[in-house]
Amino acid sequence: MSNLDQCPSTIDKATGSTKSSIAAKDDGVKLGKVSGKKYWRSLEEYTGTQEFTEFVHREFPKGASMLGEATRRNFVKIMGAGFAIAGVAAMPGCRRPDRKILPYSKNVPEDIIPGKALYYTTALPLPGGGVEGLLIETHTGRPTKVEGNPLHPNNQGKTSAFAQASVLGLYDPERLKFPVYNNPTRGKLDATWDDFNAWQKTHFAKFDENQGEGLAFIVDKKSSPSRQRLINAIKARWTKASFTMWNPAESRGAIDGSALAFGSPRFTSYDFSSAQRVVSIGSNFMDEGPEALKNSRTFASTRKVLNSGDSMSRLYAVEAKPSGAGSLADHRYRVAPSEIHNFTIALAKAVFSHTGVNATGLPDATVTGMTPKVIAEIAKDLIDHRNHAVIVPGDDLSPECWALCMAINSSLNAMGNQVTVTPMGADLSGNANEELAALTAQLNAGRIDTLVTLYANPVYDAPGELNFPSAFARAKTTITLNDAMSETEFASTWSLNGTHYLEAWGDAAGADGSLSIIQPMIAPLYEPAHSDIELLSTLAGDEDTDGYTIVRDSWALMGNGSVGSSGFESSWKRTLHDGVKSTQDEGGIGNLSMTKVLMAAARKGANNAPGQGSMDVMFYTSNNNNGQCANNGWLQELPEFGPSVVWDNPILMSPNTAKALGVLPEHSWQDEFNPYTKQQMPQAQKITVTLNGQSMTGAAWILPGMADNTLAVKLGYGREIVGKVGYSVGHNTYAIKPSTTGMTTRGASVKKAGGTYTIASTQNHWSLEGRHSLVRAMDKVWWDKYGNETKVVKDAVYGLEHSTLNAAEMIGELSHTPPNISIYENPMNDSTGDPDPTKLHHNKALDREVPPRYTQGPQWGMSIDMNSCTGCNVCTIACQSENNIPIVGKNEVAKGREMQWIRMDRYFVGDDLNNPDEILLQPVACVHCENAPCETVCPVNATVHGDEGTNDMAYNRCIGTRYCANNCPYKVRRFNFFDYGVVKFNGGLNPNYTSVKADELFEKTVAKDRTFNQNFIPPRLRKKLDEISKMQYNPDVTVRSRGVMEKCSFCIQRIHQARQDVKIEGIWTEDDQVGPIPDGFFNVACQQACPSGAISFGDILDPESQVSKEKESGRSYLLLGYLNTRPRTTYMMRVRNPNPAIRAFEHDPMDHGSHGDHGGGHDTGHDEHNDGHESDGHGETHGAAYIDRAKQYFDQGYSMSLKVLS
Amino acid sequence: MSDIHPDQSTTHRVAGIVTGQPVARRQPVIPGSKDDGTLVEDPGLRAPLVLGDRSFSEVTDIVCSYAEAPLPKIWLAAFTVAASVAGIANVMILYLIITGVGVWGLNNQVDWAWDITNFVFWIGIGHAGTLISAILCLLKQNWRTAVNRAAEAMTIFAVICAGIFPGIHVGRAWMAWFLAPIPNSNGIWPNFRSPLLWDVFAVSTYATVSLLFWYMGMIPDVATLRDRASLRLHKGVSRGFKMPMPIGNGLALHFMPKPDQLRVFIYGVMSLGWRFSSRHWHRYEKAYLMLAGISTPLVLSVHSIVSFDFATSVIPGWHTTIFPPYFVAGAVFGGFAMVLWLLIPLRMVLPNFSDLLTLRHLENMAKIILLTGTMVGFAYAMEFFMAWYGANEYEFAVFANNRVNPAQAPYWWAYWTMIICNVGFPQVFWFRKMRQSPLVIWIVASAVTVGMWFERFVIIVTSIHRAFLPGEWHMFFPTWVDILTFVGSCGIFMTLFLLFLKFLPIFALSELKIVMPQSHTDDHH
Repeated sequence: MSNLDQCPSTIDKATGSTKSSIAAKDDGVKLGKVSGKKYWRSLEEYTGTQEFTEFVHREFPKGASMLGEATRRNFVKIMGAGFAIAGVAAMPGCRRPDRKILPYSKNVPEDIIPGKALYYTTALPLPGGGVEGLLIETHTGRPTKVEGNPLHPNNQGKTSAFAQASVLGLYDPERLKFPVYNNPTRGKLDATWDDFNAWQKTHFAKFDENQGEGLAFIVDKKSSPSRQRLINAIKARWTKASFTMWNPAESRGAIDGSALAFGSPRFTSYDFSSAQRVVSIGSNFMDEGPEALKNSRTFASTRKVLNSGDSMSRLYAVEAKPSGAGSLADHRYRVAPSEIHNFTIALAKAVFSHTGVNATGLPDATVTGMTPKVIAEIAKDLIDHRNHAVIVPGDDLSPECWALCMAINSSLNAMGNQVTVTPMGADLSGNANEELAALTAQLNAGRIDTLVTLYANPVYDAPGELNFPSAFARAKTTITLNDAMSETEFASTWSLNGTHYLEAWGDAAGADGSLSIIQPMIAPLYEPAHSDIELLSTLAGDEDTDGYTIVRDSWALMGNGSVGSSGFESSWKRTLHDGVKSTQDEGGIGNLSMTKVLMAAARKGANNAPGQGSMDVMFYTSNNNNGQCANNGWLQELPEFGPSVVWDNPILMSPNTAKALGVLPEHSWQDEFNPYTKQQMPQAQKITVTLNGQSMTGAAWILPGMADNTLAVKLGYGREIVGKVGYSVGHNTYAIKPSTTGMTTRGASVKKAGGTYTIASTQNHWSLEGRHSLVRAMDKVWWDKYGNETKVVKDAVYGLEHSTLNAAEMIGELSHTPPNISIYENPMNDSTGDPDPTKLHHNKALDREVPPRYTQGPQWGMSIDMNSCTGCNVCTIACQSENNIPIVGKNEVAKGREMQWIRMDRYFVGDDLNNPDEILLQPVACVHCENAPCETVCPVNATVHGDEGTNDMAYNRCIGTRYCANNCPYKVRRFNFFDYGVVKFNGGLNPNYTSVKADELFEKTVAKDRTFNQNFIPPRLRKKLDEISKMQYNPDVTVRSRGVMEKCSFCIQRIHQARQDVKIEGIWTEDDQVGPIPDGFFNVACQQACPSGAISFGDILDPESQVSKEKESGRSYLLLGYLNTRPRTTYMMRVRNPNPAIRAFEHDPMDHGSHGDHGGGHDTGHDEHNDGHESDGHGETHGAAYIDRAKQYFDQGYSMSLKVLS
Repeated sequence: MSDIHPDQSTTHRVAGIVTGQPVARRQPVIPGSKDDGTLVEDPGLRAPLVLGDRSFSEVTDIVCSYAEAPLPKIWLAAFTVAASVAGIANVMILYLIITGVGVWGLNNQVDWAWDITNFVFWIGIGHAGTLISAILCLLKQNWRTAVNRAAEAMTIFAVICAGIFPGIHVGRAWMAWFLAPIPNSNGIWPNFRSPLLWDVFAVSTYATVSLLFWYMGMIPDVATLRDRASLRLHKGVSRGFKMPMPIGNGLALHFMPKPDQLRVFIYGVMSLGWRFSSRHWHRYEKAYLMLAGISTPLVLSVHSIVSFDFATSVIPGWHTTIFPPYFVAGAVFGGFAMVLWLLIPLRMVLPNFSDLLTLRHLENMAKIILLTGTMVGFAYAMEFFMAWYGANEYEFAVFANNRVNPAQAPYWWAYWTMIICNVGFPQVFWFRKMRQSPLVIWIVASAVTVGMWFERFVIIVTSIHRAFLPGEWHMFFPTWVDILTFVGSCGIFMTLFLLFLKFLPIFALSELKIVMPQSHTDDHH
């Protein structure tokens, strides 16, 4: 009983205090088990010594041994005492870190008020460099939600999915909890840090004699000034020690390219806010990279047109795999990586021909799918917008190409305007692959005595051809520090439990030179634990190895005065509060050497197009997850942009490539007459990919919009020593990653391996089915023409003015349906167009005259801008974190039971599925209809409307008839088919356990209670969610039980909190009157996180609010508005800005008469806008305006989409 | 009317000595023909409703002897199978409630599938009984007397099966009492705007009235059984209790009370003191008429309200004003099919049954099948027409892309199964020979029963698995729990029906006798 409610670290401490050393435990040790097996108890529990039994008894209150003969009375007495003790131990303060951390003030005193969240700044270092400034919401000392730090120059309050999910990693119950020593004779032994310290003192002493000969370090690549200082200290102490800065997913294009162009490695920073023309060359600049969030923000700011004539940037994207940029692009070209190289050369030649740079040395290059004319037109467009045009090269490009892009930028005058470069430190610029290869050679030669690995996992993620695991085994002693289980830790002599970044002090440098301090939000859950800098400091022989001191010392050394001086203290406190100290230096222009770049590019030459026998391969990671987040269920279940696949990393290729290889995914229903005899989930074909002599078996999956003959391989899956959640999810693709090239390479061959593999995807249908009114779009030329036009719809029967249609609504179904007017006088006056606030009616319950519903503020509403949404899915995971949304696992997702409240609908539009014209994105959550179909049908009044226009769920009242979900036209309701909330599982039965070895490892390591579908076990018998995982929950939000419907609540808890705050702070003047909550006073979780600001939320009655401004725009429309559900969430039509020289403008969207190519002999002569909607002769035409039948039925691509995925 | 004074020959039968033995017909079937003489087409002649030139007492014997005979082996075998299958249903329901609705194949796009399909299917089956009893009674259709009791029983059992599904399909079945308008401390009432709540009232009203109607009609016949058992006890010819098991059947169990003693007690309680007095008969007739009057609108209302579950929604394919009449027609259609499906085998198994349920009856019911089948077919066509004519492409897509077109619709086979079974098969009844052949009728009835299940499946699943936004389209696949729950509900139905067949009067004796020629000899009085 007591240890359930008690702080785990308290127990650990208590038991730990009885330990002495490893030697003392020799008697009776029957362990031989690995570390991940156990939770918080330690060795003695297993040894069963007298001591331990006594201790267990002492843990309980006096009289615990009486329980056996307990009468009811006695039992209650004992229980009461037990609870009291547990309560003391679980006092909220017990997890607070020892050192002073400063809250990011939201006008709350710096005390803990139960129920009141405190916010602290900290920072998340990104793998490979860069940092996100964060603001952490903590409840009674435990961090529950990650938000962005508004003061941080990089992300300005926004976050990535990686950051949002990191809080779940903190509470992973399978993290390492104590050091484990792998005794050569007796196997694995649980140990303590004291043991390790005693051991390391003697062990490392020998390196003082030989200057560190045979000592090697592998540390994860990130930019931490303190760590770099300590590394330098160690290098000074042991000059022969080697350091490998390891990043398994490193691209060399930008680093080597900048070294080529500017003479030394630079970090390149973009600012799109002044850009009018952008060319993205193989770059997913809004999804990945240290400044993805900043790029999203500044680029989206150029797309937010509200009125006709507003200026808007034009984006060309040349890419091999659809990215966020590609989906927003006005012109998207799918080009294989090899040929992106050629495109760069061709574009450079075209641009230089205008600017007079002599580029004759550049080879002639052709690009499949792009005519020279198109490239010339792009170049011309860029030249025409010189000073406002910018090229964004991808990091995967060859260095020569990357440098060439900078040369183009230079000649477009982008350098210094849209592009700035800052010097990159040696800790980031080193070539990780080369360093690791060198280390591997040393290991294989037997020259490494001790290998220390910090937060890196090379045994898992080293390129397959290095065969690193066997090299690793050759080191005599290996020491690994990590916060989570890893393959490297498992193989090491010493496995040390490290801290999570939310538990330890640290610092991080941003790409622009800003410095962030990482404050711990909570003392380490599994104390004692050490951070990387603490361990390095220990090894360096420092006296004081406390993280706080280390960071402060570094801070002092970075020119902030000496520790203790008043100048230092004030700057320290300032930075702790702000979370970041911005750099004063602006980025530079860089000294580009044009001739050098041109010569290098000329030497490099053009590439051949990939073919079926020699395919291009692009490795990528999703959400910065190169494998370290495998045990993080939120990231595992976050649909990947594009294929929407979860819990997997199938090898992506274009439909035509898959067809040519004969590995199209199996049809789910058309193969056989009876689908019930078939496997019910989508099945991928297994393939074997061979690259540079390394091969691996994976699953082939198609992604429309991929370049042909190109494989996209996601890294970071197929982990085996990781925990229950991530165990054996997907395939380990590092096996074929070459050790010499970066993330893009050539020459892969694919063979069918036989057999199929289950794929779970949150979206099984890829086509919009011609329903263009759902995701509306218009070319800018028409937007400029019609954007400010409105049309008044009159009801012909009653003569009433119905509503005014804006430009977006005029191209949708609302312009084609008769006005939806009730023939009854509605006392609530809420079903006609605009209720009149002055028209009072009598309310029986209140017994007074009240204005009509929804006319008094605040009235909440949301607007989603599809011109900015990049499909990054951060909103989904922010919502998941805020609202305690469970993960359901692979099997349940495959059945269509994912619980995420926000889903990202994406559609491939066009006649050819292989080469879609456009990728449309539409985030959909509950739209909070004023006339909500769900509310009328709920038999128990469990879903009802709030006075502020929110559609609310009373979970306690819900009995789960699911009628609401059936009647929801948007299908946004999520049902708890099982007890998802309180059960932890990895997706239930994973039918794809890949190897016997993996199974054995799984048995040995993490799973006695191996999880086949937990849900099929009755809940009373089921293993419940552990206490650690529960600590992540947001206490403001209910955890839903099974049998209950849930959905987006507009973050009602935040609304209530804001209302209280506003009242307390006296913003409302009248005491009893509900006044307005100022716009921006609070954010809902998705809005808060959205990097491109595509989501705005606020009071729609406040004319000054962002949301009401957006709703006023001619781009705003209602999704399925013709149903008269009157949703509060509106969508902003997408406006495309194509280059007329490349693509003709689409047909006038207002000219319905000859819309599309469905033809049908319709007479185009008359003006459709003004004819009565009663005239039945036009039924077909009206319909056709919102469903384009030609596209719906007759194109091959779509029927293939239908075949492939139900 | 009372027929309690037996003559010598029937004494033996009454005493159970020659239980259920057929009496030789005095009016044999037309030689060389399958016609039993009821298929007369001469408008001047009225087809006899009871064959064999029976006396009143013989009819009583025939009907009562079914309930009085020892348990036949075939019944025991059938009952064992049915009860086992019903047991599966119970296990499945228990598993469902213990574990969660996720054991079914539902998902967030298809939130109702087999559960509500089964509900509507069974509630539809439950329509024939009341229609036959009430509406045909009010319309003075005398041929109904042969089938009304069995049909009413079937109604009750189908409604029981139907009632199971809404009860268990909810996520938190233990909270289902929230549906009842019970004053509570939360101050929350059920939502009276919800068709699901209307369902609760409509179905429970229907179940109550049907039960009363059925039970009240049975009282005089139960009293007859009581009196006959009592007489046998007095005469000392009662049999002892024998082991009612398929194996060891007939093993005497002397410590048990005699069956007739149990009959006297149970039937005695059930017959509520019925003494066959004229006053009793008078009240009985009045009450019967009133209940018929009350039931008649219920026949129309229940399935209309069930159809509102779909018709009031906004989902294309559900949002259809044609649903109320279409559902009622479909319910009558499916209900009659089920009556025929059950009674035609009984005609073969039970001796003398065919004298009471004649070919004429079958032909009449086949005609109703043809009529309602055509109505349903018309509804299908109109639905399709309106989807096209209404120019709402979302709705048209539901029909064209979700149901009809095999190249587009994954559930096309369900739709075409429905069309072939419901519209195709009944067309054979345009031919006289076909609607007079019990075998053909039974095959068509089977097809219609299957088709009507698919009709509900098509309406429910194909509409919602692909609705407005293609991004959320998803397939539904049933799990073994889905399947076994449905199969189990059939077991519950058959179990109850078999119990009824064996222990209750399966014909309405008094009404049968009214339509016998003897009743009309003194019409002029």
